[in-house]
Amino acid sequence: MPVYERAELSAELKIIPPQEESSEAARRAAGESGLGREAGPETTMISGGRREVLEAMTSTIEAALDAGAKTIEVKIEAEGDAPRFGEE
Amino acid sequence: MARPDGVPKVKGEFEYSSDLHVDGMLWGATLRSPHPHASIRSIDTSEAETMAGVFAVLTHEDVPGRKVYGMEVPDQPVLAWKKIRYEGEAVALVAADHPETARRAMKKISVDYEVLEPVTDAEAAMAEDAPNLHLSGNLLRRVDVRHGDPRATADVVVTGEYEVGMQDQAFLGPESGLAVPDGEGGVDLYISTQWLHVDRDQVAESLDLSPEMVRLTLSGVGGAFGGREDLSMQIHACMLALHASRPVKMVYDREESFYGHVHRHPAKMRYEHGANTDGKLIYVRANLIFDGGAYASSSNAVCLNAATFACGPYDVPNARIESLMLYTNNPPCGAMRGFGAVQVCFAHEAQMDQLASALGMDPVELRIRNAIEPGMTFPFGQEVPYPAPVREILDRVKAMPLPEENETMGRDLRELPGGVSNATHGEGVKRGVGYAVGFKNIGFSAGFDDYSTARVSLSVEDSGPLVRVHTAAVEVGQGLVMVQAQIARTELGVENVIVETADTRIGSAGSTSASRQSYVTGGAVKQACEAVRERIFERVHEEFGEEVDEFSISGENIVVDGRVIAPLVELLGEGNIEETVEFHHRATYPLDEDGQGDVHLQYAFAAHRAVVEVDVELGLVRVVEVATAQDVGKVINPLALEGQIEGGIAQGLGLALMEEIRITDAKIQNASFTDYLIPTILDMPPVRMEILELADPESPYGLKGVGEPPTIASTPAIVAALRDATGKKLTRIPVRPEHIAGLEA
Repeated sequence: MPVYERAELSAELKIIPPQEESSEAARRAAGESGLGREAGPETTMISGGRREVLEAMTSTIEAALDAGAKTIEVKIEAEGDAPRFGEE
Repeated sequence: MARPDGVPKVKGEFEYSSDLHVDGMLWGATLRSPHPHASIRSIDTSEAETMAGVFAVLTHEDVPGRKVYGMEVPDQPVLAWKKIRYEGEAVALVAADHPETARRAMKKISVDYEVLEPVTDAEAAMAEDAPNLHLSGNLLRRVDVRHGDPRATADVVVTGEYEVGMQDQAFLGPESGLAVPDGEGGVDLYISTQWLHVDRDQVAESLDLSPEMVRLTLSGVGGAFGGREDLSMQIHACMLALHASRPVKMVYDREESFYGHVHRHPAKMRYEHGANTDGKLIYVRANLIFDGGAYASSSNAVCLNAATFACGPYDVPNARIESLMLYTNNPPCGAMRGFGAVQVCFAHEAQMDQLASALGMDPVELRIRNAIEPGMTFPFGQEVPYPAPVREILDRVKAMPLPEENETMGRDLRELPGGVSNATHGEGVKRGVGYAVGFKNIGFSAGFDDYSTARVSLSVEDSGPLVRVHTAAVEVGQGLVMVQAQIARTELGVENVIVETADTRIGSAGSTSASRQSYVTGGAVKQACEAVRERIFERVHEEFGEEVDEFSISGENIVVDGRVIAPLVELLGEGNIEETVEFHHRATYPLDEDGQGDVHLQYAFAAHRAVVEVDVELGLVRVVEVATAQDVGKVINPLALEGQIEGGIAQGLGLALMEEIRITDAKIQNASFTDYLIPTILDMPPVRMEILELADPESPYGLKGVGEPPTIASTPAIVAALRDATGKKLTRIPVRPEHIAGLEA
């Protein structure tokens, strides 16, 4: 039953090369958004509704840049619709 | 008709996924954290890697793709890094030539933990000084339902606090699967699960493979009840197989199984009901707090369900419901039969009994007076669809004759609480009767595009006409394979039907959960058969110029009104007619900020009456009988229906009286079937049932899902009967002997 409550959008942010200060800033900003979760040793994920994820992602990226990040890899995935499961 | 898996299962010949074997396969094993909350300082696998017979030792560094998974929110590590959030969390994997070699290799893996204080319950997780278990804190989900006047007042008010323990699905076949690398970078996984496609997509994501390179085939499933809806070893087995380039089999033992799947959410619920002196409900207020454990799994949906079903199947003009889901360091909780509805039904039904007592009313009469009816509005803003026979099912259980009450002294011990353990010979035994009614949504809700895919082909073989049905719908023991065959026979009139093994070669069927498969996959098979019939009509018209609206297949011929139109073989030759369809049910919508919306598809209702006998001195219980009335829309298979109802009641009885994962300091104390008790045939009473067939105008054949409703109200009915016998409040389930005997509150 649960998938009907699947997060609409997930954004994964990875700072390259890994840098503790900017990773920590990104994690803090993601946490403050109320949507953030850790998704890997150097990866932060923001999951939730489309608009709130996009807003939270902006502030998280800004926090990482302010902390000195040079390259941030972002992967965004829309997961709310059924066709992802079973699309042939 | 006999179910195809019935005889092999009874004879012990059915092949479950734990029986899978392929020559040259390795055995996978999982190293798990002994601590519920810890930081990982380091993991050293070097010694294990050098052991003879060890082919792979893997940690989070070896996860090639996404390092987390999750059905709703990807928050659970495939293998832990840095943090441990529950006891039993997977840390490392081993593949070896023998299970014992794998076990020894795991002992050689050195993990340096910094042990942390665990967050042990949901209320502790809300404390200001509680450590944040995830970046965003410990509140996973909040759903509010606001309906009517929030300040409504009433003549009669009753309040109560209720608690539900952590129940386990306790399926008999432990988690197991076999991953076989295809030599081209892909993998085939043979697995017992509830939803092949959602497994496949999560596995592919973490393996960094395209979905086509991960193929899943259903193996024999030994029960599920929601516990197989989330991943267990799916990604692990595939990682090991791809790494070792050998097939890898994983089988959990019973203890590991308790750590390897999610459980039913424990809940604490505070309720206030207000009514006028006539017994008409004025308002319901409730604060629901659920312990989601360490990871999200299906907690969001449970939180939503609990909020929408919190008032019960009653006409409640004013409601204020607050449903909260918290992260803790307890085992992750997720889907289990009736989820969300089970917990709140225990509370709202106890409240209705308390209200009846305060009003001096008969408890069934109070329920009937407030029963919801088609055309009314649920507190969450959806119009109650037809049929909603709450009043009728309550009338029916009330009217059923009560079991005979024999003198307790001198009775056969097997008919007394405690049985042959020589606990009572009849002294101190009191009888009680209790009633409850519950309801739940069927199918996926809240805007999800819920569908199933079916492929049906018709051909003529040497043995005559043959229909093949192919879906990805999972048979977990409920009888779906039989139902699919029945539908194909009914629609096409062909006796010989093969239901092919479910796999990911065809589109998704959705999950075998939410009591939805007869509706959704049944609907898909029906539509695919209709599409095949349509093609036959066209061919009859093309080949023979016959305009027919209706035909049947009789023997090997197409027949209209007893007249043979054509031999089927002439129409089909050596070919076949094949159609694939997707069946989608009508749209649903998410709740708005006030918890209002057309959120659910279909509702199923069941009422229960329990009769118990209690040894009030020792707190031992014998359930004498459970009577039930349930609306099923249309009976598709009477025997399977009976099985679902009896099985659901057994699981409800388990929650009422014995089934609980006992947790101390976030550690499971009873991870075995010696210590986690489930009802046996000696505990299970006779079930008296009446079935209503009020067709749902929107569903295939008018049917309703039947799997979950028997579990929902059976528990509160049994506890109500215990209260009737003992006079005690009994606000926590499972009720233990010490609660009845008054040794513990």
